[in-house]
Amino acid sequence: MLKVFKYTLLDLTRNRFVLGYALLMLVIAQGLFMLEDDPFKALLSLVQVVMALVPLIALVFTVVYMYDIQEFTQLLAVQPIARRAILGGQLLAMAAALLLAQAVGLGLPLLVHLPSKASFILSVSGSGLVLVFAALGALIALRQREKARGVGIALVVWLLLVIVYDALLMWGMFAFSDYPIEPFVVPVAGLNPIDLARIMVMLEIDLAAMMGYSGAIYRNFFGSTMGMVAAAAIMLMWVVVPTWSGFRAFRRKDL
Amino acid sequence: MAEARITCTGLSKRYDKLWALRGVDCTFSRGEVVMLVGPNASGKTTLIKCLLALVHPTEGRIHLDGTTIDARGPVPHPGYRERIGYMPQISQFPASLSIRQLLEMMADIRGGAEGGAEDSLVEELGLTAQLDKRLSTLSGGTKQKVSAVLALRMRPDILVMDEPTAGLDPVSAKRVLSRAAAVRDAGGTVLITSHLMEEVESLADRVAYLEDGHLRFLLPVSEILERTGVSRLSQALPRMLEANARPMSYAG
Repeated sequence: MLKVFKYTLLDLTRNRFVLGYALLMLVIAQGLFMLEDDPFKALLSLVQVVMALVPLIALVFTVVYMYDIQEFTQLLAVQPIARRAILGGQLLAMAAALLLAQAVGLGLPLLVHLPSKASFILSVSGSGLVLVFAALGALIALRQREKARGVGIALVVWLLLVIVYDALLMWGMFAFSDYPIEPFVVPVAGLNPIDLARIMVMLEIDLAAMMGYSGAIYRNFFGSTMGMVAAAAIMLMWVVVPTWSGFRAFRRKDL
Repeated sequence: MAEARITCTGLSKRYDKLWALRGVDCTFSRGEVVMLVGPNASGKTTLIKCLLALVHPTEGRIHLDGTTIDARGPVPHPGYRERIGYMPQISQFPASLSIRQLLEMMADIRGGAEGGAEDSLVEELGLTAQLDKRLSTLSGGTKQKVSAVLALRMRPDILVMDEPTAGLDPVSAKRVLSRAAAVRDAGGTVLITSHLMEEVESLADRVAYLEDGHLRFLLPVSEILERTGVSRLSQALPRMLEANARPMSYAG
């Protein structure tokens, strides 16, 4: 697995998509910090960008790359190595390349302009999102034979988790506003990895105070050790379940 | 009859509603070249992909040097592919690696047992000067040459080539095929798919004809010519098909 990882990563270090991602994040992050006088305001804007852009890029990149290396995967699959080693190496390399690009594009400006715990939480949450959406992207590519359809499904998944999920949640809160539903909103929001990442950063910036009763509930739950553990477990589940399903699909996949 | 190395029994493969292979029974032996021929989408590539466990059979089984690939059985241990060389129909490699890096990588992945970029076939196929070129910049023919090197350099006992000369210049094609013949002469089993009858005539010990996923016949070249009473395979094959209008499974 380590050999597949090593050579796939070597290929990815010169991949234009990965380099472009690093550059794009660097330009956005640096631009926001330069435009805003208050670095915390820049951080807030950056949170919104990260929560929308990171899942999209991780998903689309993973899906496209998995299709692009299909013939090469076939070549590896006729060597005396197990398929789990091939997929494991490729997934690790893709995740590592994206994380490296993000460390340069997002981590570096955060470290230079706002070295704080909030920046650290944003970096960690962003990294978590990379892993979650890379795993989802790989699963889509492994389950769907056609590239165009795979990319289409990836975009639908992104739309569902970034926009539709929140829209439905807000509609529910509005429709049942006469009832004390906010305690139920916390776990439902927490099930979406993007919302979960956003909540963790918001709590650290203390923006939860401006969110009224919901913010207080978030703080009570996710601010505790138990809440942090639950958040990490949910994030981990979002990585483990698609990855495990991907390995199952790849074991007997016709190449 | 030479010792059987690969035996397919009732081998079938279905992709959704399409049967790519239907009940194929055949045996491939040591020290022979079997050319797989037939129209497009007749099941040639699916048959060799089944042997390599790239696709999983829907029914039937394959015995290959003590390893069983069974439609209902577990995935075989990858170790059985140690002595198999495979040259696919389409060669695509990681775009940003050079030929040298690719060759080193494959040697590394296979445990470094076979030659590196200094391999004589690299020189024979005129790849020496291009070793440091990125794979994304290579022409289709050059990629085919790289693919041939990858398949042949580990001195395989079983060599599987899917239309190996498609896109190759005549000199390189001849060199690749002579290497395949050398594998046969060393006691190896060679399976090649081809649409070029001159190629089949020059190299084949036996010919397997597939159509609509059925194995129509698997016979020695001499027997095909004898049965049809002609001297060229290009004339003999249509006559054989007329004579065997119904699909058959023939182990040869």
